[in-house]
Amino acid sequence: MTVHHDCDVLIVGSGAGGATTAAVLAEAGHHVLIVEEGPWVEQGSVVPFSLDQMDQQYRSGGVTVALGMPSIAYTEGRCAGGGTEVNSGLYWRPPEATLDSWRIKYRIKDFSTDDVLSICEEVESTLSVQKVPGEHTPASDILRRGADRLGWKNDEIPRWMTYRDGAGATEGHRQSMTRTYLPRALAAGARILCEHRLNKIVRSGRRAVSAELTDMTAATDGQNAVTISFRDVIVCGGAIQTPAILQRTGLRHRVGRTLAVHPTVKLAARFDDVVNTPDDVSVFQVKEFAPNISFGGSASHPGLVALALTDNWRDFGSAVTSWPELAIYYAAITSEGRGLVQVVPGVRDPLVTYRLTKRDRDLLGQGLGRLAMVMLEAGAKEVYPSFKGAPVVRDRADLAAMTTMFAVARASVMTVHLCSTAPMGDDDKRCATDSHGLVRGTDNVFVNDAALLPEAPGVNPQASVMAIAIRNARRYCADRAG
Amino acid sequence: MSDSVTTQRVPSSVARFADGLLAVDLPRLPDSNRCDAVAFIERRIRVLPSITRFGVQAIAAGVHAAGVTLGHARVRRVVLKLPLPLLTEYPRLIRSLGYAYIWETWPDTDVDGGTVEGRAA
Repeated sequence: MTVHHDCDVLIVGSGAGGATTAAVLAEAGHHVLIVEEGPWVEQGSVVPFSLDQMDQQYRSGGVTVALGMPSIAYTEGRCAGGGTEVNSGLYWRPPEATLDSWRIKYRIKDFSTDDVLSICEEVESTLSVQKVPGEHTPASDILRRGADRLGWKNDEIPRWMTYRDGAGATEGHRQSMTRTYLPRALAAGARILCEHRLNKIVRSGRRAVSAELTDMTAATDGQNAVTISFRDVIVCGGAIQTPAILQRTGLRHRVGRTLAVHPTVKLAARFDDVVNTPDDVSVFQVKEFAPNISFGGSASHPGLVALALTDNWRDFGSAVTSWPELAIYYAAITSEGRGLVQVVPGVRDPLVTYRLTKRDRDLLGQGLGRLAMVMLEAGAKEVYPSFKGAPVVRDRADLAAMTTMFAVARASVMTVHLCSTAPMGDDDKRCATDSHGLVRGTDNVFVNDAALLPEAPGVNPQASVMAIAIRNARRYCADRAG
Repeated sequence: MSDSVTTQRVPSSVARFADGLLAVDLPRLPDSNRCDAVAFIERRIRVLPSITRFGVQAIAAGVHAAGVTLGHARVRRVVLKLPLPLLTEYPRLIRSLGYAYIWETWPDTDVDGGTVEGRAA
């Protein structure tokens, strides 16, 4: 038995791009249906940054990798609300210089910096973006203290959180998509089908006409087929799934060829006191070397501390019993390298590869060294860099030795910021879509998520994703009204 | 091969390797904890993206076949030392998953796998 649905607009994915798009379109009167591969998980029902959360809300349990030398581990949210449900919730407006550069380089029409920043203001209001009114976690204070002692620029990054007056960092309530834009969309008449996996978008010439899905909640295989007919489809599956969906639909022009990420390397640092707050991350970032290199804090559950020590277990392993005194930090870079997302016939998941340039490798080494310096200045007794063969760093002499020993091929490189696999703009040679997300070669297939960002913005990208998605959704409504 | 795996069912190549690796790395980890960790590793391997999963399973099968001929402990030592790009990722993945699970589930575990209960006994 096949279940059939009809709608004006099918939105594939419910994260930062999909949820905002759905709210704008539904409130403009369009009959919107959202399909989401993952489940709807209420905030607070799973422990943040835990393996349980990874099981429920991440694709492949959080174990996904872009192959290369070295390979880069990455994560994708796979749940209602997407990455906004599981990430740190840190909010950065896109830098003005970045927006200016994108507009010129990719020939993006109607893309004034003022307009985008004006939408950012609306997003900040909707998501209650704010700084922590009360005390910060010890892990946050470490970054601030270390950077201050070095005279390096650092700042608290606001988050999409609500707090009662004077509440501390761990007492906030995350204002993710399931708390904000998705309820707005649903209140305006949109529907959402969770745990429905898109198999195929069916085209007739330049038009997509229907979608074939699998209802993963159905008890038996014979009862899980779903088809959806629509006027337009907007793909918002994120920077990995969106290009895979487009390629499987036969749309390949500049699709999946320019994956951009912020590669990061990590270390664990040990202090005299308890500094580990397992369920939260640092809200401070060090921007002295931005946009090339930034430092921040990572989730530090005891399991993740063990993970950070794994590469040198013989030398570092004994520290694991002191995990309450350890916290994990990262150095992230803006990368000149690029990656590929390619579907392989007969295989469900795309092949993802990424190649770091020599400059990227050098920056990662510099970043790790400077991050270790911040830790030592903040009072770390021991620093454990995450690369095979790394020494324990206790002082500046160890730091110098560590810097010379660093080789990115032996490092655990990872990222949580992925974008640019279907870049937007009127430059046909660079861009997969037009300036508002319409996929080239089609009349009714749009992209509206991180895949559109022409490059990695050098800051947490979800504010950029939301602002651009709202901009494009409004343009869509204006065009369809006309 | 520890009893914890052999007494339950025919283990996969990944499970055999993971069990042996954790038994050597964490000799005082209780069998039941190691069994749980191996089960977790197997679950995660099963949901890896297709191409990564095929790669891991192919390496696991090769390592297992070599182990049958040359001895699992010997092959494990070789795998851990050989600096071959894809091969080194295999024990790294197994350790990462296993250690993350063990310390998230039993955060008081010692570096050799010993537990609070074990110390008390």
